[in-house]
Amino acid sequence: MSRSLVKFAAIIVVIAALLYVGLFGLDFTNTVRFPGITDSDGITQGLDLKGGTVIVFKAQTDSPSEDDMDTAVNMLRQRLDFQGYTEASVTQQGSDKIRVELPDVQDSEQAVDTLGATAQLEFQDAAGNIIMSGSDVSDARAEYGQTEQGVSQNSYYITLELTDEGRQKFAAATAEVAAQASQGTNYIAIMMDGQVLTAPSVREQIDSDTCVITGDFTAEEANSLAANIKSGQLPFTLQPDEVRVVSATLGEEALSQAILAGVIGMILVMLFMLVIYRLLGLMADIALLFYISVTFIILSVFHVNLTLPGIAGIILAIGMAVDANVVIFERIKEELKLGKTVRSAVEAGFHRALAAVIDSNVTTIISAAILWWLGTGTIKGFGMTLLLGVVISMISAIFVTRLLLRQMIGMNVKNLWLYGINKKKENGESLKGGEA
Amino acid sequence: MVNIVKHKWVFFTISIVLSVISIISLIFRGFNLDTDFAGGIALTYEIAGDFTTADVEQIVNGSLDGRTASSVQKSGNEVIIKIGYENGLTDEERNTYSNETRDAVTQALEAQYGAPVTDAASTDATATETTDTAAATDATTADTADATTEDAATADTAEATTEDAATADTTEATTEDAAAADTDAAATTDETAATDTTADASADLLSGARLKSMDVISPSSGQELARSALWMSLLACAGILIYVTIRFEFTSGCVAIIALVHDVLLLLGLYSLLQWSVNINFIAAVLTVLGYSINNTIVIMDRIRENTRHSRKETYAEIANTSILQTMTRSINTTVTTLLTIGMVYILGVQSIQAFALPIIIGIVFGFYSSVFISGPLWATWRDSAVTAKRNNAAANSKNAKGGKKK
Repeated sequence: MSRSLVKFAAIIVVIAALLYVGLFGLDFTNTVRFPGITDSDGITQGLDLKGGTVIVFKAQTDSPSEDDMDTAVNMLRQRLDFQGYTEASVTQQGSDKIRVELPDVQDSEQAVDTLGATAQLEFQDAAGNIIMSGSDVSDARAEYGQTEQGVSQNSYYITLELTDEGRQKFAAATAEVAAQASQGTNYIAIMMDGQVLTAPSVREQIDSDTCVITGDFTAEEANSLAANIKSGQLPFTLQPDEVRVVSATLGEEALSQAILAGVIGMILVMLFMLVIYRLLGLMADIALLFYISVTFIILSVFHVNLTLPGIAGIILAIGMAVDANVVIFERIKEELKLGKTVRSAVEAGFHRALAAVIDSNVTTIISAAILWWLGTGTIKGFGMTLLLGVVISMISAIFVTRLLLRQMIGMNVKNLWLYGINKKKENGESLKGGEA
Repeated sequence: MVNIVKHKWVFFTISIVLSVISIISLIFRGFNLDTDFAGGIALTYEIAGDFTTADVEQIVNGSLDGRTASSVQKSGNEVIIKIGYENGLTDEERNTYSNETRDAVTQALEAQYGAPVTDAASTDATATETTDTAAATDATTADTADATTEDAATADTAEATTEDAATADTTEATTEDAAAADTDAAATTDETAATDTTADASADLLSGARLKSMDVISPSSGQELARSALWMSLLACAGILIYVTIRFEFTSGCVAIIALVHDVLLLLGLYSLLQWSVNINFIAAVLTVLGYSINNTIVIMDRIRENTRHSRKETYAEIANTSILQTMTRSINTTVTTLLTIGMVYILGVQSIQAFALPIIIGIVFGFYSSVFISGPLWATWRDSAVTAKRNNAAANSKNAKGGKKK
């Protein structure tokens, strides 16, 4: 008995710890640290919760190539970075769409205009004269190596390949610019959408079909810069296909109401289980806490982008989570009514209900997985949390509840009333507590 | 003992009639497609004070230059206005039209209900710009706000500080402060302010009409969405069909799928019949119902599978009935727990999530009905008729054989 009690207590402590971590995160002397659900850097709130703008652009061309789409996605990302929207997300959606999510931007009109505009890559001299444009560059790539003679340190730089026309323009311009060395205006600014990407200085005329841009680049910067110069302009025009704006207040209201619904729903389910299944129900409730803790931890560790339907998925899964337990408990009660001992009834109940539990969950998993896989926007989030919920709840219902019940039996808890059996109604003869 | 299988024709008739009505409605009435599918503009405004749907509709239509809104729907202090596109617009024209329409509707509503006056603490950037007057009001009530901000802060506003009420109010304080800045509430006791805070987290609109959310969807985008929704549903059906066929024998698999189609058909039929609007969330709800409503059926089929193995004498009808009754408590209890949670989402959720929860609730109820009253009896009927057919065949064969002998 005492061993079971210790084990039971240990399980409770573990679940309590998980719940704590799920809610408030873990901060172990700042070395091991991950956030909880209540931490601001834990879950990422979807735009329908924190407010913001979603714009889905459609390429105005028939079946754009994957390369072109990548280029366009990169360009939009770059543009947003320039404008300081570092939290914005840009993703390809389907074969010809780009989804842009901007947090806290209310002026969707302006966002559409700036993002959808065809980008201008321009080379300008100090006076602002346009030397050449993106179409004069045939290729750009990031490379790593020694950039100047006499400098032993290797660094990242960008090599540009020019078209014949570009070469002529560049040669003429560099000659002119190099001559301004004494005035300190001997540089060429490479501009994208009016923003200076880099402004390398020119020492002498460059008459070559390649030229090199040096700077204090990281590998990443050099790569993205090269990609942008290469793309220069959006490969196609973009038109907004979908624009959704949610004000922050609406999102906040939605979030607080959803959390309230979740808390009340969970309490109701726990009470229901407790009233109907008594001790078994209590174990299921503890398993439910395990489920919710693990869900929280996964959501915050993986920084899941949580949308409103996503929260609905989690809440729905709370109701579905006890499903497996109900199947198992009903089975246990049947076995008890057949006169089995508590121990064998519990084991038989789990054993015989397993197939039904798995079968009935797999179909929900199929649906949820398809929503996650093929759905777009908020629906994807719902599919994900539902899938997560059903899988975790199945595991917790089968393993955690069984583990808990075994400890109960180990502690010699044999009162059949506690296992949901009403003595009055049943045939007394078949109701032996039995020896465990 | 209750005999469900015995009364099967009552249930079969109900289901057949409802299914036929659903199919007819789907063919002739179709769906009331939301902007998600049909394309168009959906604007949600929050309006402080009393207003009626008819008023708003009149104002909106007056601003639309001869066109009319396809729907105006009131939900609490919010109104959702949906406007379709004219046919044959180019993308650019559509874009311009969307922006112009939004501006026109906003202006018209503001002309009637006033420009949005909110607490300067609002997190809404555009609202902050337009509320210089509100900020001024705040400054004058800074003293009272000071007292109430304390409550708001304890109520769980992390950012608001009591040290400098004026700056906290205008710069950092979040919407939790909204109630505190409500001049009436601030003037009265702390108690009322506190209850206001808990009552409504978005109470920061003091007067006027304010745009809360906007959806602009192109018609082509809607068509694509419809196509992808159809694909997702077909794929889910196929996946479930394959799984059920592998796990159960053919008859049970077919019965489960019939029950599933029945649930979804009735759900779609109901939405078509009542012309409730169908949006992207509805699709997600339908797929959830696809996956979940079959749960009870599977548990019953599982029990039938087990009982068939154990019994030899009983007819299929008896086996089915026993199995249904044995699993009844379970079917009811799982349905209740799921309804408890999704029901709370429906009761407490905002409008968009209610539209998501409702079809799931309906689908779960249909799922319970079809599992208990349709799937088991259908399985028994199918099996028994197969046995009868076999017997008849055997009888006919032996007759023929005998006849042959006689000849």
